[in-house]
Amino acid sequence: MIKQRITNHRLMKRIWQHKLFYLFMLPGIVWFFLFSYVPLYGIQVAFRDYTFVGGFTGSPWAGFKYFEQFFNYYQSGDIIRNTVIISLMKLLIGFPMPIILALLLNEVRKLKFKKTIQTLSYLPYFVSWIVVVTLMQRLLTPYGGPVNDLLGSLGTESIQFLNNPTWFYQMIVGSDIWKNIGWNSIIFMAAIAGIDQQLYEAAKMDGAGRFRQMWHITLPGIRNVAIILFILAVGNLMSAGYEQLLLLNGPATASMGSVLDVHAINSGIREGRLSYAAAVGLFQSIIGLILVLTVNRIARKVSDVSLF
Amino acid sequence: MNRIWSKGISLLLVSIMVSGLLISCTNSSGNGDNGEGAEGENSYKLKILHNWNGSNGSDTITPVEEVIKEKTGVTLQWEYTKGSETEKVNQIFATQDLPDIYTGPAWGGELDGIIKAAKEGQLVDISDKLKDYPNLSKSIAEENVPPALYEKAIDAYDGKKYLLLQNQPATNEDGMDWLYGFYVRKDIAEKVGVDPQSVVTKEDFYNFLKKIKDAKLQENGQPVFPLGGFSNGWAVGIGNTMFYSGASYVDKGDGTVERDFFTKGYEEYTLFYRKLVEEGLLDPEAFTQTDPIAKEKINQGRIAILAAHYPAILDASKEYVTSHPESDYIPLGPLERADVEPNRPVDLGIQGNNVTAITKNCKGACVDAALKFLDFMASDEGFMLARYGVQGVHWDMKDGKPAANQEWFDKFSTDTNMKQRKNEGISIGLESLTGLDRINSAAGGDIWAEQERLDAMEQARKILRPNGIHVITAYNPGDVITKAPEWEMLKPSMDRMGDAWKEAVFAKSDEAAMSIINDLREQLRNTGYEKAMQFTNENLQGKEVVTVQMPN
Repeated sequence: MIKQRITNHRLMKRIWQHKLFYLFMLPGIVWFFLFSYVPLYGIQVAFRDYTFVGGFTGSPWAGFKYFEQFFNYYQSGDIIRNTVIISLMKLLIGFPMPIILALLLNEVRKLKFKKTIQTLSYLPYFVSWIVVVTLMQRLLTPYGGPVNDLLGSLGTESIQFLNNPTWFYQMIVGSDIWKNIGWNSIIFMAAIAGIDQQLYEAAKMDGAGRFRQMWHITLPGIRNVAIILFILAVGNLMSAGYEQLLLLNGPATASMGSVLDVHAINSGIREGRLSYAAAVGLFQSIIGLILVLTVNRIARKVSDVSLF
Repeated sequence: MNRIWSKGISLLLVSIMVSGLLISCTNSSGNGDNGEGAEGENSYKLKILHNWNGSNGSDTITPVEEVIKEKTGVTLQWEYTKGSETEKVNQIFATQDLPDIYTGPAWGGELDGIIKAAKEGQLVDISDKLKDYPNLSKSIAEENVPPALYEKAIDAYDGKKYLLLQNQPATNEDGMDWLYGFYVRKDIAEKVGVDPQSVVTKEDFYNFLKKIKDAKLQENGQPVFPLGGFSNGWAVGIGNTMFYSGASYVDKGDGTVERDFFTKGYEEYTLFYRKLVEEGLLDPEAFTQTDPIAKEKINQGRIAILAAHYPAILDASKEYVTSHPESDYIPLGPLERADVEPNRPVDLGIQGNNVTAITKNCKGACVDAALKFLDFMASDEGFMLARYGVQGVHWDMKDGKPAANQEWFDKFSTDTNMKQRKNEGISIGLESLTGLDRINSAAGGDIWAEQERLDAMEQARKILRPNGIHVITAYNPGDVITKAPEWEMLKPSMDRMGDAWKEAVFAKSDEAAMSIINDLREQLRNTGYEKAMQFTNENLQGKEVVTVQMPN
């Protein structure tokens, strides 16, 4: 008890000593409080019959009615399956990509070239999905799109890339990687920058080439960061991406591309079924939380690295 | 000293960041801070949401709005919807970011949303005040509103009144026939040697599309699609009337109705369109393309047959036709209609397209100002002001009829993006508020239309309406079923029918297409379809019911 008090006291003293640095956390804390914690009271709407007049707190209780409605919905199984498949693909194919990019960039010695590539790879992150999809439509259309024109000039038949089940997953995962790879690589670049340069010097002296250095120093150096990010990414397994799927999914690919995010927002905003949408959203979040806790536990046992 | 500076700057930065975050979270709407409310003794500013996707107005107060201000003391602050109207109506009530006046579509999810808002105390009850506003009273008098819509939306709140209906025709001559149909480019029809009027049956239609495809026509090095439409599939599906009566609820033959989705005709209609997609006769992007892309294709001459209403086709093809004479779109058929006598007039649902309501955001003097403004707009004077502009400036009475002033007629005839018209206050949304449509009976028709366009419309009318039109006044089962106790459970499945049809059209095989349709049919049954239809049929007993309808 006394030991605990002393520890707390030391922690407070340390925080006070570095209060200016801690002050910089304040905007982030306020942001999280406002946008992640304050809205939590709205969860109750999933258990209420939401009315405009009653709002979040005054509408009558409905129990698990909307959860039942979701699980009785004839496409709920398909929607969950599609969400998991697309998220898994994004996770398994998309997750290593920023690591690979960071490793490649780390090996570039010409600073100007490195900076140019870095900037170019970040740019797509700031382009909204509506612009990305419009670009894809223009570039990939079989009717005058440059990609198909190129294929045509190489003697290949034109391909309907969009709204085509054969190309659906490639388009979804590919565009997601293109958009996020640069941004997601920043954290790995930072982790690489934090690796002690003496380790590379020592490895060089031991005769290690650049591949060996990357394998034995860089990769282990960013392992912890990668594990933490992987745990967090697993939490999004029930969320396949609203805007991207809304825009890239068409009638021909609906059996593969109908996902929970779009279903929830369509139910809530388009159909005005806010309680139902909240129930679907809460279901997503609970599964996400369970997955994070499970993977966190596994990670702690296997590698001693965990979120908490 | 450095330490003090560094501390000071740190504190300043953090304060800026936190206050910036908090300010951006602050809701800037609501009375007072956005200029709404009383402006003076005889002046009032009203915020109006015009919930029609893509509508827009002028950046400054227009001459028409000046007249409104002079006549009613009301200044308007417009908000226009960009995106889904249904989403917008749900959003404003869920977030309580309310305008003073809401005006938007009188159908579908938009109407359901506004009725829900009325029932949940979000709108102002105007029943006690209506007697002082004769033009508004007239617009929602029982005899002036289609019966099922009257029961569903106007007189549905235990004697209270919340909604005003607009643009239902005052007389038959005012009924706007949009001339929906399939229109082919004249030069292409000639090139493939087919007389558009010889295309009557679905087989003729299919063969015509095949001939166009087989001709391997190209424009600017791109293939010409035999059949196309506008954004998100509008309105390629209008071929349904070749397979069943076209109404959403069709006669079962035993005095009851059933949803078209359950009929054999609907299956044939779905499989026919699937065949068109599979054989490359229908533009595969038709259901997913945006409006600019659709119009670009039309402007490049890449669509042989367009499905839509004629005014939209005339507008979209104007540029191409100007540079390519003889390439104007002319109607096919008239195509055969399933389940009706061949000489039957075309049944059109012209029941008013707009509802308007005052929201609870508007209180006290605001309500009176809003009603005064709306009543003025619903008067003959307001009706013509919204459509023709300011009398004495944009138009004048000649031989007892409104006629455009030549100067403005010439200006507007070259105003392809409507910018000049909007700057004068025409087509900025006021026409949605003008009560009963009396464009021909009380006004002078479309005075801004060019003679060439009027002639084209008249020519199309002669072809497509050889037996005239019949304005539907019967009960629409779609309005009645919403009162069934099962509706809440049923509605989400009903809302999926359109999407399921599109998915079936793109299915890999006929069997897969039917599986999509049958799965949803099963879901509809599981969520109370049978009982809801029983309720609907019981409530429609002894009443005239809409079972035949053409798109309009």
